[in-house]
Amino acid sequence: MSEAPILEVERVTKTFGGLVAVNDVSVSIPRGMIFAVIGPNGAGKTTFFNLLTGIYKPDKGRILFDGEEITGRDPAWIAARGMARTFQNIRLFGSMTAVENVMVARHVHTKTSYADALLRTPRFQREEKKALERSLELLEYMQLGHRAHELAKNLPYGEQRRLEIARALALEPKLLLLDEPAAGMNPQETEDLQRRIVGIRDDLGVTILLIEHDMQLVMSISERIAVLDYGSKILEGTPEEVQNDPRVIEAYLGRGAAEGAS
Amino acid sequence: MRKLRENPLLLSAVIAIVALVASFWLLNHPRSTLPFLLTLGALLAALLQPIPRWLKVLIGGAILLLVIPAAGFKNSFLFELGIQTGIYAAMALGLNVVVGLAGLLDLGYAAFFAVGAYTWAIFGSPQANEFMPWKIFPLPGEYFYLFMLVAVVVAAITGVVIGSPALRLKGDYLAIVTLGLGEVVRVLANNLDQPINITNGPQGITPIQRPPIDWFIALLDRFGLHLSRAEAYPLFFYLLVLVIIGIVTLVNVRLDRSRFGRAWIAIREDETAARAMGIPLFPTKLIAFATGASFSGAMGALFAAKQLYVSPESFTLIQSIMILVMVILGGMGSIPGAILGAATVTILNVDLLKSASDYLNDLRNAGFVLDLGFFKYNFANLPNQLEPAKYERMVFGLIMILMMIYRPEGIIPERRHVLEMKKEEA
Ligand SMILES: Nc1ncnc2c1ncn2[C@@H]1O[C@H](COP(=O)(O)OP(=O)(O)OP(=O)(O)O)[C@@H](O)[C@H]1O
Ligand SMILES: [Mg+2]
Repeated sequence: MSEAPILEVERVTKTFGGLVAVNDVSVSIPRGMIFAVIGPNGAGKTTFFNLLTGIYKPDKGRILFDGEEITGRDPAWIAARGMARTFQNIRLFGSMTAVENVMVARHVHTKTSYADALLRTPRFQREEKKALERSLELLEYMQLGHRAHELAKNLPYGEQRRLEIARALALEPKLLLLDEPAAGMNPQETEDLQRRIVGIRDDLGVTILLIEHDMQLVMSISERIAVLDYGSKILEGTPEEVQNDPRVIEAYLGRGAAEGAS
Repeated sequence: MRKLRENPLLLSAVIAIVALVASFWLLNHPRSTLPFLLTLGALLAALLQPIPRWLKVLIGGAILLLVIPAAGFKNSFLFELGIQTGIYAAMALGLNVVVGLAGLLDLGYAAFFAVGAYTWAIFGSPQANEFMPWKIFPLPGEYFYLFMLVAVVVAAITGVVIGSPALRLKGDYLAIVTLGLGEVVRVLANNLDQPINITNGPQGITPIQRPPIDWFIALLDRFGLHLSRAEAYPLFFYLLVLVIIGIVTLVNVRLDRSRFGRAWIAIREDETAARAMGIPLFPTKLIAFATGASFSGAMGALFAAKQLYVSPESFTLIQSIMILVMVILGGMGSIPGAILGAATVTILNVDLLKSASDYLNDLRNAGFVLDLGFFKYNFANLPNQLEPAKYERMVFGLIMILMMIYRPEGIIPERRHVLEMKKEEA
């Protein structure tokens, strides 16, 4: 069972009006891998994530997560199964503190009923304490311990990105989707992040699916890379294979550039 | 002002002295508005400023349980004001869950108030004999307490029924649909006198049973306070409302600081992100909606018993808007804000605007002439339409606009419970 891929995407397509944002994309992601999705702006990478997490329903195709079909399911249901994500344009709960943001994602793991909350039963106290402790732990893990009680919207940009990862980890996911986690970070922060992503896979055993424009980051930590262009997957392979493929250069820079390079 | 804040001892002393002065002033002039407002101000300052807890309890207890009741015996209007404020505060707290925490704009909130009120009105009066096979109505007043719980349940169910279609919509659409469904409830109350007479239509229902208070009168007797039934009821309802406010606040705080409260705020802040974090949208919204409805339902039952009379007129759109104004004025998502907003709007509405009307009327009747030299006005000519008591709606509108411009987060903005978390951590 654990040998089966964590995620299998079979020929999914998504159109917006006349625009084919994701075109017949298939991909299979083995457990424990760091897998990157790259492609020029507007290639359909974020749309692909939105399909996986249930925010959009595919027009065609199937998605299997951990051996179970999740096509067209509610995002909350998919998240509860263990698929967590961050957003390209940071989407924190601004008026909550950092630790509360993380605690929100503990929702499905907190076993308290409405009545428990009203009566403050021992179970409520226990579960609440557990949620708080785990959340603080995760903040610590993302080096945000000192920010626990500050409002999310008051954190600097790089820390907001890390807080999103901490929040996603609170779901105890099997698969973590990171949408441009290094965007807007300085080289030092990017380097820290790179180590952290590898750490998440190694320490927590979480499979990672990564969208990123920073090629230095992508090439040094991904084991496999898929390239999207105009919604279609044009290539999949190891970083070496992808780096040296003229089609990739072409996708990024246009046909003329690819010819010049070869 | 800053110096005061930095010196807790001085701050405590100032608040205590103001509370003391205001209380004596109010006791000597129970009919004046100014000492009453000052007393409330002192109460508010005591509750919100960082002073020792025992002093908060002492000042709060003294003002709410001694000063206002004592002044109330000389001016029973104070009880009326207190009861109305309490009823609205509880409803504002309920709406705060829906609008403030979960961010669902509900313009039909008075419908649940109506449902609660009719629940007790129908069975606590001979009305139920009209359509029930057993002619045992009105139920004795003792049943009132049971029916407050029944009203909570019935209102919550109504919340689920109204919420199930409405909550699939977002933002403005939700507001419009709740507005419409809220009106449906009122129209039903207005028309369900045929073919079977359930609500008695536009005439309304009266007389409605009150909870018996012989035990309460006997209890007061033992403390040397001899009150007639007519004097004891306002005090009784006043105290009952205080107890209910306590319960409702507790419920509000507990939900706010649970996974439910966090889920509501997450949905308010960003639905997509909330769902991606495993929060199921529709059920979570429905729980918020039903919770708010149940608060309103409980207060409806109390309102019916206090008024002895209900009719569809009491549950109009303007009521829903008034409660919304309270929540926005106080600060969306803020528990002390909801209570303060309710107090402010109620007092403005039933006291200040009326006092201003009375004052203008006195001037008119006296034929007072304002003479500024260049400008001369005889108040005897003042048209009736200018009476401040009729400004209610304009005042709500003004409050909304001014708040949106100058302080959109409300008088007492929501503040996440940072301090408590820190304490637990240690
Ligand atoms: N909700 C939507 N409605 C209509 N068009 C959309 C929607 N979402 C995305 N698109 C379009 O689909 C295409 C793919 O967008 P997407 O955001 O997936 O690209 P991307 O690869 O993530 O790009 P970037 O690197 O800039 O983040 C774009 O042309 C975009 O304009
Ligand atoms: Mg994108």
